[in-house]
Amino acid sequence: MRVSNVTVRKRLTLVLLVGILVFFIIDIRLGYVQFILGNELTGKARDSWSRNIPFEPKRGEIVDKNGVPLATNISAPTVYVVPRQVEDPEKTAEALSASLNMQKEKAYEYVTKNSSIVRINEGRKISHEKAKEVRALELKGVYIGEDSKRHYPFGSYLSHVLGFAGIDNQGLMGLELFYDKELSGSEGSVKFYANAKGQRMNDMADDYQPPENGYDLRLTIDSKVQTIIERELDIAEAKYDPDGLIAIAMDPNNGEILAMSSRPGFDPANFQNVPQEVYNRNLPVWSTYEPGSTFKIITLAAALEEGKVDLENDQFHDPGHVEVGGSRLRCWKKGGHGTQNFLEVVQNSCNPGFVELGERLGKETLFKYIKDFGFGQKTGIDLQGEGKGIMFNLERVGPVEQATTAFGQGVSVTPIQQVTAVAAAVNGGILYTPYIAKELIDPRTGQVVMSKNPEEKRRVISEETSKKIRYTLESVVAQGTGKNAFVESYRVGGKTGTAQKAKDGRYLENNHIVSFIGFAPADDPQIVVYIAVDNPKGTVQFGGVVAAPIVGNIMEDSLRALGVAPRKDQIEKELTWLDTPMMEVPDLIGMEKKELQQQLINLRLDVSGEGNTVVKQAPSPGTKIKEGSIIRIYMNEGD
Amino acid sequence: MPTKKTTPDFILMIITFSLLCVGLIMVYSASAVWAEYKFDDSFFFAKRQMLFAGVGIMAMFFIMNIDYWTWRTWSKLILIICFVLLVLVLIPGIGNVRNGSRSWIGVGAFSVQPSEFMKLAMIAFLAKFLSVNQKLITSFKKGLGPALLLVFTAFGMIMLQPDLGTGTVMVGTCVVMIFIAGARVSHFAALGLLGAAGFVGLILSAPYRIKRITSFLDPWEDPLGSGFQIIQSLYAIGPGGLFGLGLGQSRQKFFYLPEPQTDFIFAILAEELGFIGGSFVLLLFSLLLWRGIRIALGAPDLYGSFLAVGIVAMIAIQVMINIGVVIGLMPVTGITLPFLSYGGSSLTLMLMAVGVLLNISRYSRY
Repeated sequence: MRVSNVTVRKRLTLVLLVGILVFFIIDIRLGYVQFILGNELTGKARDSWSRNIPFEPKRGEIVDKNGVPLATNISAPTVYVVPRQVEDPEKTAEALSASLNMQKEKAYEYVTKNSSIVRINEGRKISHEKAKEVRALELKGVYIGEDSKRHYPFGSYLSHVLGFAGIDNQGLMGLELFYDKELSGSEGSVKFYANAKGQRMNDMADDYQPPENGYDLRLTIDSKVQTIIERELDIAEAKYDPDGLIAIAMDPNNGEILAMSSRPGFDPANFQNVPQEVYNRNLPVWSTYEPGSTFKIITLAAALEEGKVDLENDQFHDPGHVEVGGSRLRCWKKGGHGTQNFLEVVQNSCNPGFVELGERLGKETLFKYIKDFGFGQKTGIDLQGEGKGIMFNLERVGPVEQATTAFGQGVSVTPIQQVTAVAAAVNGGILYTPYIAKELIDPRTGQVVMSKNPEEKRRVISEETSKKIRYTLESVVAQGTGKNAFVESYRVGGKTGTAQKAKDGRYLENNHIVSFIGFAPADDPQIVVYIAVDNPKGTVQFGGVVAAPIVGNIMEDSLRALGVAPRKDQIEKELTWLDTPMMEVPDLIGMEKKELQQQLINLRLDVSGEGNTVVKQAPSPGTKIKEGSIIRIYMNEGD
Repeated sequence: MPTKKTTPDFILMIITFSLLCVGLIMVYSASAVWAEYKFDDSFFFAKRQMLFAGVGIMAMFFIMNIDYWTWRTWSKLILIICFVLLVLVLIPGIGNVRNGSRSWIGVGAFSVQPSEFMKLAMIAFLAKFLSVNQKLITSFKKGLGPALLLVFTAFGMIMLQPDLGTGTVMVGTCVVMIFIAGARVSHFAALGLLGAAGFVGLILSAPYRIKRITSFLDPWEDPLGSGFQIIQSLYAIGPGGLFGLGLGQSRQKFFYLPEPQTDFIFAILAEELGFIGGSFVLLLFSLLLWRGIRIALGAPDLYGSFLAVGIVAMIAIQVMINIGVVIGLMPVTGITLPFLSYGGSSLTLMLMAVGVLLNISRYSRY
């Protein structure tokens, strides 16, 4: 008997059709997942199967303007563990703890950690011998990755500027921090495929994504000049045992920093050994203090530019003090400099003379120039932690404030501000933004990816005024307070500075920052050098005595190193009782004993031989020597 | 009482054996890694499944020779026993909890799920009820109402475990049977509206529910929680492509897809054998559906017809839900894929159900 009920038959057929339709829909969805979503799902699935072993990029090198490496990398192996590949955690932990000098429990924790890949901190940046030792253990699941460690070939040299990088090669201080992004590059990795238990799936090839190395950084620093400066600072440190030392050398024609250093210094590889404030204060840009007389250059520049003074013809009488707003400001020289023209005012660094110049300018004009020269604001150098300095608020400037500002007291400036301002005063009148990073170079292609050009901020004074300043400051060195910075035939110009240090609103006794800022050659300055010595011991604390000779030494060697040609015309040095006059060695050959005594009033003789006539002499005739020097002669029997 | 026996439906038998073979191969392939890891024996699950298949086939042939009217006679008693078991399984100490549901009675490998038996008992009893009261089914009070009351009582008890998958399959199967028996479309429409209204009411009272229900549409919203299985399943199916990675080449079975030999075996099949393999399995199930309906159409009486359609509807609905979950069309419910998934109780019961179907086919005339 067949089911004859029509409804039942119809509905059975309907159910069959609906059922088949649903299966068909399911099949379409299956196809959609496999064909339309397939690629996307496959990608996601591969991500879920893959495990990464990171490869750190090589940090970019830092080189000086001539390519001398200042910060480089040395390779340092690092130990990684893939816990799920470790076959015998107990044994592995024991072996690792023995060779990496860590506790066994700690090692066991690493090798059993519930993580796809673990970096062993005790095994970071280890020596190659250690790495070899670990590799020789042939432990399953233990890998040695190539890491790199920062290396500073010159040690503490330039350390404040370079700064340093941490264990993760991350920039922590100085240029390493300022240009961290560019130096860092990006991480690469080796990708291997693993099952959900982290074991490697052997049938799938590993992917290698190379790390992208960081850019190399080329500085404006000239390592030759830097070396000279470091040497001079070391000598000064030994000689004066100062509280601190600051040195900057800059190319005045573009704002490039040629050298920068300070004391106390530190070794970037062991920065932890010094107090924090030693390594995180880059004194040449951070510290602010009273500039003292070096600031008079600004007052001079303003007065010359405004036509308020005729250096040769305007006379000034300095009685040793000046009355301003009811108070008496004294000149540094007791009894004063007497009557002098303004060129001599500058040469003598005469305070009342500069008070006069300040009065002639008026406070608005004086402060406008100070601002134009960049004081009271950051120079914008590409270094961290730059200071701003403090200026008097113009509304609160009375006659006293105006007067002290004119000779560099009561204001507070940074060394880098002084250097850029003086550079502008002598380079023809252009204020530049100082900078220290010249180029970023892609190490793979050698191509320059970023190049910094000199940045003119503004014209401050005219070419003509600048020329007058150069002449005036050259005369300060040749004939005034800066004589100790004089370098034969290199036409050094400059200005001394001696500033009292203030603490808790009062000046300290016998505690000065003595400084000198110099430039050379005066006809076309190629370098500006600033030196400040904080509280030198065992000497008179005058910039001309302590700082000027250091600048002189730096100038002489640096100009030669930079290949600057010696000049012919220079303002001749005025001799003081401290200077021994030079004289030419006379021709003594052929003379007899009797004659010699009349000739050599200012020289001493070292005689050898028994004879009566001079046959040889050293040095040879015509050589310039100091008075009182010894001349060796050799006597022989006359015919 | 049917009279003359003929040969059973051999095509149905072939389809069943084909599914069984695919199932055995896939159980081995999907479980080998997991079995090796857990039991140090890659054949652990395959061997057991082989045993279950043997037992199931014997049961199938045995039942194939039991006159299906026997089930009509005993259906009431069987149903009562099943109700008792459903009560017993809820009692801690008698019922065991697996995967968060108290669904199992017995010890170790000899555990059974009363709800699985309830499914079959309900089919046998409902077929009888509908065939006796077929004229009354158009009446809500005398036909449809009592039938639904019975079905939903059983459903409610299953949901106490809770076992949403089995409960849904049972309700779906019963609804199909009642529909076949001739219930009014207007009644279905009214019930459908009622259900929809209740559904909307539930959502309005707690809007977060809609999120729970639709979360399967975007499993990446909670990749480690509710979306985890679906994502891992899709990671298997997606890379399969047209021809698959090749038998045994699944990656997702390497501990990514939990217990790949059970509910999600179709994902591994689609990964290894691709769209072709998946479509082939779907084709086999379609053919099975066709043979089952054909048997229902040729059955000598209404009871046979309703019994046949109940069995085939149960199999088809279970397939639809299982694969629907695996390919991300439905929220995860946790039911096996007939003939393919690993599991003794599921496999033997399915084969026994086919046995009943084959018995009915021996009396069919087309």
